[in-house]
Amino acid sequence: MSDAAGLGDVAAADMGVTPGLGAGGGPGAARPGRETFRLFVRNKAAVVGVLMLAGVVFMTVAGPSLYDQDPKDIVARPLIGPGELTEARLGTDYLGRDVLAGVINGGATSLTVAAMAAAMVLVIGIGIGAVAGYYGGWADGALMRFTEFFQVLPALLFAMVVVALFEPSMWTISFAIGVVAWPGIARITRAEFLRLKNLEFVRAARAVGATDWRIIRKVVFPNALPPLIVSATLIMGTAILFEAGLAFLGLGDPNTTSWGLMIGLNRGNFLTAWWSVTFPGLAIFFTVLSFSLIGDGLQDAYNPKLRGR
Amino acid sequence: MKKWRLLVAVLAVFALVAAACASDDDDGATPATTAAPAADDMDDGDDHDEDDGHDEDDGHDEDDGDGDDMAAAHGPCNDGANVGGTLIIGSTQVPRHLNGTVQSGYATAVPGTQLNASPLLYDDEYNPMPYLAESWEVADDGLSVTLHLVQDAVFHDGMPITSADVAFSILTAQAHHPFKPMFAPVTGVDTPDEHTAVINLSQPHPAILLAMSPGLLPVIPKHIFDDGQELPTHPRNTEDFVGSGPFRLVEYEAGTIIRMERFDDFFIEGAPCLDEIVMQIIPDATNIVLGLENGEIDLSVTLGPSANVLRLMENENVTVSSDGHEAIGQIQWLEMNVDDPALSDKRVRQAIAYAIDRDFMIDALDQGLTIPATSGIVTASPFHDSTVNPYDRDVDQAKALLAEAGYGDGDLSLTIDYIPPTQVIYAEYVVQALEDVGINVELSVSPDFPTWAGRIAGRDYQMTINNVWNWGDPVIGVHRSYLSDNIDQGIWTNNTGYSNAEVDRILAEAGQELDAGRRAALYAEFQQIVSDEVPIYYLTTPQFWQAYNPHVQDPPTRTIWGMMSPMHEVWLDR
Repeated sequence: MSDAAGLGDVAAADMGVTPGLGAGGGPGAARPGRETFRLFVRNKAAVVGVLMLAGVVFMTVAGPSLYDQDPKDIVARPLIGPGELTEARLGTDYLGRDVLAGVINGGATSLTVAAMAAAMVLVIGIGIGAVAGYYGGWADGALMRFTEFFQVLPALLFAMVVVALFEPSMWTISFAIGVVAWPGIARITRAEFLRLKNLEFVRAARAVGATDWRIIRKVVFPNALPPLIVSATLIMGTAILFEAGLAFLGLGDPNTTSWGLMIGLNRGNFLTAWWSVTFPGLAIFFTVLSFSLIGDGLQDAYNPKLRGR
Repeated sequence: MKKWRLLVAVLAVFALVAAACASDDDDGATPATTAAPAADDMDDGDDHDEDDGHDEDDGHDEDDGDGDDMAAAHGPCNDGANVGGTLIIGSTQVPRHLNGTVQSGYATAVPGTQLNASPLLYDDEYNPMPYLAESWEVADDGLSVTLHLVQDAVFHDGMPITSADVAFSILTAQAHHPFKPMFAPVTGVDTPDEHTAVINLSQPHPAILLAMSPGLLPVIPKHIFDDGQELPTHPRNTEDFVGSGPFRLVEYEAGTIIRMERFDDFFIEGAPCLDEIVMQIIPDATNIVLGLENGEIDLSVTLGPSANVLRLMENENVTVSSDGHEAIGQIQWLEMNVDDPALSDKRVRQAIAYAIDRDFMIDALDQGLTIPATSGIVTASPFHDSTVNPYDRDVDQAKALLAEAGYGDGDLSLTIDYIPPTQVIYAEYVVQALEDVGINVELSVSPDFPTWAGRIAGRDYQMTINNVWNWGDPVIGVHRSYLSDNIDQGIWTNNTGYSNAEVDRILAEAGQELDAGRRAALYAEFQQIVSDEVPIYYLTTPQFWQAYNPHVQDPPTRTIWGMMSPMHEVWLDR
């Protein structure tokens, strides 16, 4: 993902220093936000990704009120195929619950877990990466060894251990994903900070007496943001897959409804009741795909080399 | 990086779709592709005189030239005509090791009964049959049992199997087997000569004959195991295993494969029929189903969940049967911690029992493949009492009982545990069922089996789905869950905290009663009391399904122990 570290020229507004000094400000840097947006919407795949994600979010937010069926309720006999029942259009699972209701309601858990995990990844990753990159020296060495320690652990196994140590719940699962997924972000942040910290506008900020904290927060960080936004988008997708993977391995919280859990619990009936795993599987597929497409679109849009094409 | 992500996502969907499509072509099963060495000439029947020497190791050629072909007159394996072949067994169960004197359970017993012989076998009507013991007597006062062993039985290393080995095995099981009641009354084993063992008892103990079944008392070699090392962790429990059974161990890879070869000097002349048994441990049940369908697996000793059983039942190339497992007596039940403030009230427990629809669980969740369990002794047992209150679903009754106990709609909140991962389905149903009578239930999740077992054994729970086996005699598998001196002695002891002096007295008496009729009456009394107080609500008796390809002949289904029986008579008709 290090190739995502395109030169950042996102708006450096709200800085204590001259905004025009934005590093590598390419052509059209006067209104960089608009330019980025223009490039993004020109990318058809990215737009498809946004539409897909909008669909998933709409289904998750508005779905439960439009399709008023508790996904936990037993509505009919188990393992009845799609199209055979009016009360369960996509069929029923092993307990006789409505698969459609499960798919609609499962998104909330998956997306919440993904969002919480991504937030945690960003906080840890940016925190550690920023300190390591900005201060360098022994702080850098120590923090990077620490990061490498987490990086060499097999992520899914480590997440399983974390969940198994505590009781599986939405919180522990988000925590587990967050704990294993941050090293990438830390390294990107560090690389950006290393690159930016000696550029003129940062020196200028230092020269006018800004504190380290202020420089990190208001000068360096906004310029390091573009690759981080791209990574964060991709991490959302990864986190959804992780949540599904954990649930598939029996480490989900059955008190909630999630896509991964539906697949994991219905897996035994895989050969006879394809619908109980296929529909939640498709939901995961489209969600992760949408994040991937958006991430790619953002990366291209932020890349100044592609500007003006 | 991004392409990789896309690829994974796309592959995942393809896999789902492919698997979904695969469900439609179950008649596409191909003939066996796995190795079946030296079994080609197994056209059973008349002309078996000349197929001598079809395998390299038949050391029993005394049967040649016999012109009489009456099937009943034949010795084991049709006088040698049915000898040969490799049986591939699939199982999801991972044995901890192979020494059944210190380890209970199906996982150890299935390979264990191939590797070790026991004093007795059982037919399908609870009658003991000779095995290592050719005859036996129970003293009139019930205080001793004398076993007369077969004369020239040897272990796999060639050493003779003597009464000292039987005595050593019994005392080992007494000291280390989790089922303490099996040999608890044994005060000692006398060995007046090499082939006679006299088991002395402190009290009459009718369960002792059943405790000498293949899965419960394998006879292990004293000269190997009596070396001062702790038996439960003895290295020879898996390595260089020396047994007394029809097959000897040639390869053991923990959790992967157990390969066993025909033991030529087995004491039943002419047996076993198979050259080799290869037991493959396949954790995913779905893969076993596919293996059976395409002929890579000949016999599966475990089969689930219901959907897989039903799928195989429709396949004419696979025989599915639940015969022969009566003694296992598996009961799926809901147990309640009676020391919990809410659950200490009998009315609350009864209300919970009335709230659950056992028939729905059988029909819908188990797709008709289980049978109702209404008491702690399974229906197939001679001691089952069919007159107990079955607590068929009655929502009004349940609500009335709750109101009487002081709980209105939504007043009571409970948690339910379950054995992960498979039993979540029953727990999820109980949540729904209890919601109907106004009890809120939350699932309490254990990430793995040891966590769950620790919670239940430590009584850190309110309700749990559990699965406990009768193990043939109530003394072995039933008493343990109700005796007040067996509370919290580990998992599958009395984990409810139930304590009733009357029940203790009845069980103690029933355990010593030699007269079957009087014993049944005592157990009926016990079942009535427990049914009224419902520390445990009995759900279903899951059947033990096994599936095999039609060329597998005489699988051990004419017994009460099913696949926990020696397969020395199994042969392959290819």
